[in-house]
Order: sequence, then structure tokens, then C-alpha cells
Amino acid sequence: MALINLRNVGKTYEMGANRVAALHDVSLSIDEGEFVCITGPSGSGKSTMMHILGCLDRPTQGSYELDGQQVASMSPEELADTRNRRIGFVFQGFNLLPRTSALENVEVPLLYSRSLPNAAERKRRGLAVLDALGLKDRADHHPSQLSGGQQQRVAIARALVNEPSLILADEPTGNLDSATSVEVMNTLQALRADRGITVILITHEAEIAAYGTRVISIRDGVIREDRPNPDRRPAHDQAAAAVAEA
Amino acid sequence: MHLIRSQAALAVKELARNRAQAVLALVGVVVGVGALVTSMALGRGAQTAIQDQLLAAGVNMIIITSGNYQVKQPGSGGAPADHGDLRSPSEFDSRFVEAPRNHSYRSRPAFAGYPGGLRLGAALDSRDFVLRPAHFEDDPMAVHDHPTAAQRLGDAMAGLGAAATLSIDDARAIRTQLPGVEFVASGVHENARITVDDGGAKQWFTRLHGTEADLPTIRRGWVFPYGRFFSEQEVDQSSQVMVLGRVVADRLFGEGVEPVGRRVLMWNQPFEVVGVVGSSNWAVQPTPGDDQFDAVYLPVSTVHRLLNLSKLNTITVTTKIAGETTEMAEAITELLRKRHGITEEMPDDFTVRTQAEQVLSKGLAPDLARVVSGNLTSVDSLTMEQLAASMQRSNRTLLALLTGVAAVSLLVGGIGVMNLLFLSVTQRTREIGLRMAMGARSRDIALQFFVEALVLCAVGGVLGAIAGTFAAYGLEGVLAWSTDVSPASAIVAAVVALLLGVFSGVLPARRAAKLDPINALHHE
Repeated sequence: MALINLRNVGKTYEMGANRVAALHDVSLSIDEGEFVCITGPSGSGKSTMMHILGCLDRPTQGSYELDGQQVASMSPEELADTRNRRIGFVFQGFNLLPRTSALENVEVPLLYSRSLPNAAERKRRGLAVLDALGLKDRADHHPSQLSGGQQQRVAIARALVNEPSLILADEPTGNLDSATSVEVMNTLQALRADRGITVILITHEAEIAAYGTRVISIRDGVIREDRPNPDRRPAHDQAAAAVAEA
Repeated sequence: MHLIRSQAALAVKELARNRAQAVLALVGVVVGVGALVTSMALGRGAQTAIQDQLLAAGVNMIIITSGNYQVKQPGSGGAPADHGDLRSPSEFDSRFVEAPRNHSYRSRPAFAGYPGGLRLGAALDSRDFVLRPAHFEDDPMAVHDHPTAAQRLGDAMAGLGAAATLSIDDARAIRTQLPGVEFVASGVHENARITVDDGGAKQWFTRLHGTEADLPTIRRGWVFPYGRFFSEQEVDQSSQVMVLGRVVADRLFGEGVEPVGRRVLMWNQPFEVVGVVGSSNWAVQPTPGDDQFDAVYLPVSTVHRLLNLSKLNTITVTTKIAGETTEMAEAITELLRKRHGITEEMPDDFTVRTQAEQVLSKGLAPDLARVVSGNLTSVDSLTMEQLAASMQRSNRTLLALLTGVAAVSLLVGGIGVMNLLFLSVTQRTREIGLRMAMGARSRDIALQFFVEALVLCAVGGVLGAIAGTFAAYGLEGVLAWSTDVSPASAIVAAVVALLLGVFSGVLPARRAAKLDPINALHHE
């Protein structure tokens, strides 16, 4: 069953008298467990695509079905709840709260969860996710005390803490050197392999896009290419090699 | 609840992260709330001080004297009456054995010299033919070793202070039946010769006041350089204890000598000195011949027992509020007339005067004083009460001014908090976007900033209340301004701080909540 179903989706911004179509008639279906990389130059509409997929914005035309639910007709509150439960975001700039421990950063989505876990429950779940990402001993560290790769892994832990079915990563390696990028890609690939989480990754680097199982390129708000990537790069081996080299 | 708690924790954390700015905004709130608490303390203090001064001056004091010398002749057009003409002999006769009927002279312990209570005559009540014992002092054959009632109180026919028309029960009724009465002290007044009980010849003629343990609370200007006033218990037991006025103590024992525990003699009876009363008011200095400090004080019950009396010469009443003496005097008059069974056409058999009247008529020739106080019965309401009212009015003006200052500083404090939060919303726009991306609803974001404002103002309110209290005590200590920090000002401070938090939190919270998540996320 398709996790994501976009049908004739369009997004038009009104800027004064001008109407700018950021997305035009996009139809797309993504199944559970796929690792989709969306590529395109800046201004191609991939960010708009990301916002719509992430329920941060609603399309002006067409329909978007996420996990069988129509997103286009949702109220802002329902959108917020959907983001909280179904989607984990990973950003280029990590966007961790400064002067706040890794654990507390990871707990933030739980504060807005409708199930209202209490403090002990939040801590337990936060630590569990950090542990899964090998960051248990960094739980009390502030972002400034962590390396870039560690910060991004904390951000991934935060995205995972509510056990979403979809991870949306917007240029997650943009601020990282290549070795650390491999490390992060390895983490994301492992999520898909171990937990069956669907990953959608936005990047403008072809090299990074090669880690996905499917690559979609966008230009001028239109999908130009949508191809499977059967010989995707396994980050695991590279990471092992990098460790061996060092 | 859970959300509020986690938001409060979050707010504290956020504020701690922006410590310098939070502290600056906090200072504004602290100054505002502190100014409010201080001004309230000063205002209340001034109010209390004015009231205290007026009360110390006796503005709230009403003195009821038995007998009546200021009644007007019926139809005489308000001219002060010659009291001697007022009562026909038959009137006097019946009055002498009149009410209160529930009282018997025999019920009191007899004076030591008269075992069983000497009683030679019986007066005939003209109305119900009940035989009543007359006072033993009325026995023309008796030899007394103390002044008799007639000698003490002057000519009974005059119907003056000698007229035994007031009773302990009257005092009790005033105390219990009239709200607005603060204290009631009944009094018997005599002249007495006091001797030191050491075989020497030191003696002093002075005034004797038989009164109750409440008197020091009425006489606010009193201090006790030695010992204390007699107690309620000593009044109940009619103990032979005595409080000396400063002048008496100095004359009998010498200045600076502790007389407490010494024995003095009066009416051939020993009395233990339990205290010395002096004046705390520099304007009122004990002088020989005055009525307060050249005097001795005994429990009224002791005087009654030793002299086998039951009547009072005076009842002293204080009102709770300084400006109520005129109304209270009227209420007392009405009550006593009812108790004494005085019909409408008959004059009072007592005199109710306020201290204000006495102050005004002081120094006047007795005739003139009677004219003044007899003709201008409302003189107190024109002067002392108006003085009290005008002092309270000016105090209210001062209070309004101080409250205005506090309001301005509160406004500034509130704007400071609002400014901090607006700044914070701008600085943390990315964070807001992030939180929204992670599922925060608009109201979660609004609540976060709102709670931050509330926390800031609550902390500022508490610190401000503490600072204001210290400032008030400081002003009292350094400038000798009178202040009064009340629990009410703490409640007002709490409410004001809360309102300030709401006022300064709403706009920034709205701005934060209205942010678009995408724009916020990409805000630089």
C-alpha cells in the first residue's frame, strides 16, 4: 500500500499581481519502506515539495494522501498532529535547541504529543532512541559539546522519538564533511533496513542521492525523472572503510 | 495541567537561557510591584498614624458622668440650666433608691469595719412599697474612718457627679449592646491620702480612680516605667493592688526608685503597688494636680468593696473610629435613658460628653464652659471630627499619588517584559518554526510565551513584594515614616503581578502563534 499518494498536486504562490507556480501537476506514489531521494537545483520546487510532503503547507491544487488520510483538507491543528505523529524532520542546520541537553532536545516532540507522556516516560523514550543511535553517553551534552555528525544524529533521534512512519530529511548532510555525511547516510539507511521507516531525502548532490532506492529529480516544479536505483550505495561499508582508514 | 507544568518548566529553562535579558525585565517588574507594595504600606501607615494620633488625643473618647448639669429648663430656649432647680425633692427621693433593681447593696462583701454591713434605715419605695436597705453611710450616728459618700461626692441634693445613677450593669450594657464601641471602663473617683507603709510619715493627697483593667488600652499615651496595670483577674478578685501615677510615685518613693512590690496604706488598708504609670507623650507631662498622673488607680471592684458602693461616677467609652463620637454619644444616651426608664419629657440623669468637648471647654470658666458645651452640643462634630476627616482626605490624596507612581512603574515593568518577549519571539523564530514542524500547535506556542511572561511576572511579583516590604521598613527606620505592611498588600501584589503577566504576555504570544511554520523555519 502506498504511504504517500500525490495526485495532480500544484502549489501556486500569489506574490502581488504575479502568480508563481512552485509545483505543477505533480503525481507521485511512494510505498512504505522506500528510500526516496529528491534532487534538483535551487528554485526547482523541491523545497515546496518537501513542505507539502511534510504537512507544513497545503497544496493549492490536487490531493495528497498520507497513510490513507487526505492532508489537503486538514485544519492547521490536524496538520500539527499529523506532523507530530507521522513525520520526523531532519534539517540541514540540525536545528537543535542551544544550551539544552541532547536528551531534552529529543524529548521536544513528546511535549506536543496527544498521548501526553509524563516526564519519566519522555525520558525513557528519549534515552531509548539515543541509545539506538549510539548516543546514550551523550544524553547530557549540549549541542555545542557535540560534533556535527553527533548533532545530526541527535536530530535524527528527535525525528524518531514519536515513532513516525516517514522521515523527511532536508539536505541532512549539507553542513557536514564527506566522512560525516557517510555516517549520517548510514544511520538513515539503517532506519529503513531495521525499522522499515520510509525516508524521503532532499538533496542537490547527486552523490548523496545515490544512497536512495529511488531517485526523483525535479526542475521548474515538474518531475523530470523518477527512477529506481537498484545499485544504491551502501553507506555501511564505506563507514567501516572510513573507520578502518582512520 | 500536565501541559501547563511542562510549559512552566520550559519557560523557566528559556528564561534561564536568556538570563541577562530576563534579569533586566525582572528588575522592571520588581520595581513596579515593589513600589506598589511600598506605597500601600506607606498609605496604610499614614492612615493608621493619623487614626492613632486622633485616638491618642482622645478624639474617640466619650465620658459619661452620673448626674446632669447641662439640661435645659423645659421651654427655656436652650439656656444652660441651673442644675439645682431641675429636680423636685420628690423626684430625688425616688431616685435615691431607684434602679437598677437587680442590685442589692448587701451582695457586696462588707467593709472590714462594718461586719455584716451596717444598716440602720430602710427607704420606702413610693411605687411598689418594697423595703430597700439604705446605704450604711446614711446612718447619721455612724462614725466613719473614711470620707462618707456625702463628704466625698458633695451635696447629694445637687444631683451632680454625686448622683449615683450609673451602674456596672450600665457599663456592661454599653460594652455588649453597642457595636462600634471599642473599650469601656467604669470609674469611681475619690480623693485619698496615701501613706508609705514603712512607719514613716511620707504621705500624699491625691485623686483615686477605681477603674477596670481595660483603661491602659483607652489611654493610649500611657507607659509603665515600673511594673504594670492591674489585671482582669485582680479586678475580679477585688485585690488590694494599686497603680501609682508618676507624680505620686515620685512624691512617695522619690524619683528613680522602684516602688513595685512596696506597700502603701489608704483608708487604713494595705495596698500592694504593682506599677507606675507615666506619659509617653512629650506634650503631656505628669504634673502635680493633674488628674492622670497625680492619681492612683485601683480595681473598681476593690473600691466598691471597701467603700461598700455599687455606683459609678463615670463610664469611659472609646469608639473604634475617631469620627463616630457624636453618633455614639447619641446611641449611649438612648441606651441609658431606656435602661434608667426615663420618660420622654424627663431630662437625662447622666451627662454624655466627648473628649473633644472637654478639650474645647478646658480653661474656660465653669459657667462659660457650661454655656459652650451646653449650647453647642455638636461642637465635636464641627471640629475634631472634621479635623479627622480632613486629615484622612489629605492622606487619601497622598495614597492616590503613591499609587499613581506605582502604576507608572508597573506599566514600565510590564512594557519591559513585553519587550523582552517580543525580542525573544524574533530571536527564536527558527525555534518556533522547528517546534511547529515537530507538532506544536499555535496555541502550544502561544502558551509557551504566555507562561514565560507569567513566570517572569510571578517571580518579579514575589521579589517585588519582598523588596517593597523591606523598602517600607527601611523608610520607617530611616525616615521614621509610619508604614503598615499588610497581608492585603501581598494579595494585591500577587493579583497585580498576574495581571501584568497577562498584559505583557498576550501580544508577544499572539505574534509567536501567528508565525507561519515554513517562514519561521527558514528565518535567519
